[in-house]
Amino acid sequence: MAEKIHNPQSTIVIGYGSTLRGDDAAGPRVVAAVARWELPGLRAIAVHQLTPELAEPLSQAGMAIFVDARVGGGGVRLHPLRPTDRLSALDVHIGDPATLLALAHALYGRAPRAWLITLPAHSFELGTSLSPLTRRSLAVARRRIRTLLKRKHRRSRLS
Amino acid sequence: MSQRVVIDPVTRIEGHAKISIYLDDAGEVSDARFHVTEFRGFERFCEGRPFWEMPAITARICGICPVSHLMASAKAGDGILAVDIPPAAEKLRRLMNLAQIVQSHALSFFHLSAPDLLLGFDSDPAQRNVFGLIAAAPDLARSGIRLRQFGQEIIEHLGGRKIHPAWSVPGGVRAGLSDASRTAIREKLPEAFSTARSAIGHFKTMLDKHRDEAVSFGSFDSLFLGLVGDDGSWEHYGGKMRVVDSTGAILEDHVEAGRYQEIIGEAVEPWSYLKFPYYKPRGYPDGMYRVGPLARINVCRSFGSPQADDELIELRQRGGSTIKASFLYHYARLVEILGSLERIALLLDDPDLHSKRLRADAGVNRLESVGVSEAPRGTLIHHYHVDEDGLITRVNLIIATGQNNLAMNRTVAQIARRFVRGPKIAEGMLNRVEAGIRCFDPCLSCSTHAMGQMPLEVSLFASDGALLDTVAR
Repeated sequence: MAEKIHNPQSTIVIGYGSTLRGDDAAGPRVVAAVARWELPGLRAIAVHQLTPELAEPLSQAGMAIFVDARVGGGGVRLHPLRPTDRLSALDVHIGDPATLLALAHALYGRAPRAWLITLPAHSFELGTSLSPLTRRSLAVARRRIRTLLKRKHRRSRLS
Repeated sequence: MSQRVVIDPVTRIEGHAKISIYLDDAGEVSDARFHVTEFRGFERFCEGRPFWEMPAITARICGICPVSHLMASAKAGDGILAVDIPPAAEKLRRLMNLAQIVQSHALSFFHLSAPDLLLGFDSDPAQRNVFGLIAAAPDLARSGIRLRQFGQEIIEHLGGRKIHPAWSVPGGVRAGLSDASRTAIREKLPEAFSTARSAIGHFKTMLDKHRDEAVSFGSFDSLFLGLVGDDGSWEHYGGKMRVVDSTGAILEDHVEAGRYQEIIGEAVEPWSYLKFPYYKPRGYPDGMYRVGPLARINVCRSFGSPQADDELIELRQRGGSTIKASFLYHYARLVEILGSLERIALLLDDPDLHSKRLRADAGVNRLESVGVSEAPRGTLIHHYHVDEDGLITRVNLIIATGQNNLAMNRTVAQIARRFVRGPKIAEGMLNRVEAGIRCFDPCLSCSTHAMGQMPLEVSLFASDGALLDTVAR
């Protein structure tokens, strides 16, 4: 297998959730907008769920941002992430990004600096509409991502 | 005092189930059952929908094998239109179905079964998972993930997305394969072949270490059903149905999709939402049959591609001309990956794939149609009745995993009798029962056409029905 190149300048943004289950589409919707920015070194991936195949592109990136819906109210939240050290049974369904980071590290020896952005979500009924709260949160989530990217860019210029 | 031991949930399978093992007063296994506790109802809520929508709707039955439903559903739709789809469309559908087989079988072997096979059934449960596999065989783990990804990428190249691609439709397909996609797929084929061959080599080594499991994991006489080509070669999309017995004698041959009800009946049991298909001439439950990789190999004469045929010869030398041991589903799965890759390579060079003729247009010309295709787990049947406006009036879905239901139950009982001894139940014994089910690679989301998850539990009952113990994994 050809060794893929780790690019510390690159960022991967992964939004996950079902686009047919109301507010669960928040992550993919944010990432779809991020993809339209067409920034160099930025890879935006919208997926139904986190899967082991994402471990390789994660391991190649310098920074990862995960975007997901969160049951409940409140605002958009931003958390730093670390690879989990509880390596419970993993199958095709990876429940959380920390496990995926752990998988990336286990398989490829690298896991990027990572963040999790969660948007408040109320309704997960069948349908493609977002609730007003989640819809309003999309712009906030996008701003958070821009801030993280700018911060990363500043750090790389200083180093 | 007899006991019922229940394994709930069964881990590392797709979907949810529980297993009940009944012990008699002497602590010996008297019976065992594989319960499917999901209920879904696709057959009912599809009524009233236009048949055009059925590929997209039924693809949502499952996130692992949506392509299989796309194929069978689109073929049923082709029949309602009464069209022969353009040659390019059939070949493109075949390409996607082969990719589906590669990715699904890779998932089954590398993610779900390899931890047991490589690390051992008695190894520490905390390690007997993909992370344990990574620690023990990192190259194997990495290559397995990439092999699954390869299959998914072909699906994405064709259908625009890896899961639920809205691409195969009644009359043909929505889009062709670009030159750039063809090149991208071709570039990754060598690695995929290497992984498949390596996995087969690993399995042969594992097989020598698991002789006990090989003879006790669902090794019994049964019938086998699958599609075959007109020349008896391995089929996955077209062809007709064939049924053979455990000696290899052909009981049914050249059975077209529309005649499936002549040979397949469906029974129900009160303790499972999964139906029990059976071979009608032998009645229920004597008409037990198996489908899937093992059955496809048993009903076919050859793969028709050199590398897979070489491996098929060795597989049959090890397992018999008609292979009865369900443990060898794993081996069959790997050989099917290899054969599928060979066919993908040939299709990529087919000039028909450049054609722009991808759909046949027609209206409702038949009010009933059956589409049959081979899903990774076995033969999949979609049977639709429509009205003059093309609205569904009745649906019957016979899912691969459902057709293995009787055999899975028999397998659970066989393993339980061999490895389970009351009153102490060791982790390794319970895991062998689960692992026996995993040989079939069941997709329970499909087989009950269900949605959502349901809680599961382990229950231990006395012979008088009194609950003795409850455990949740």
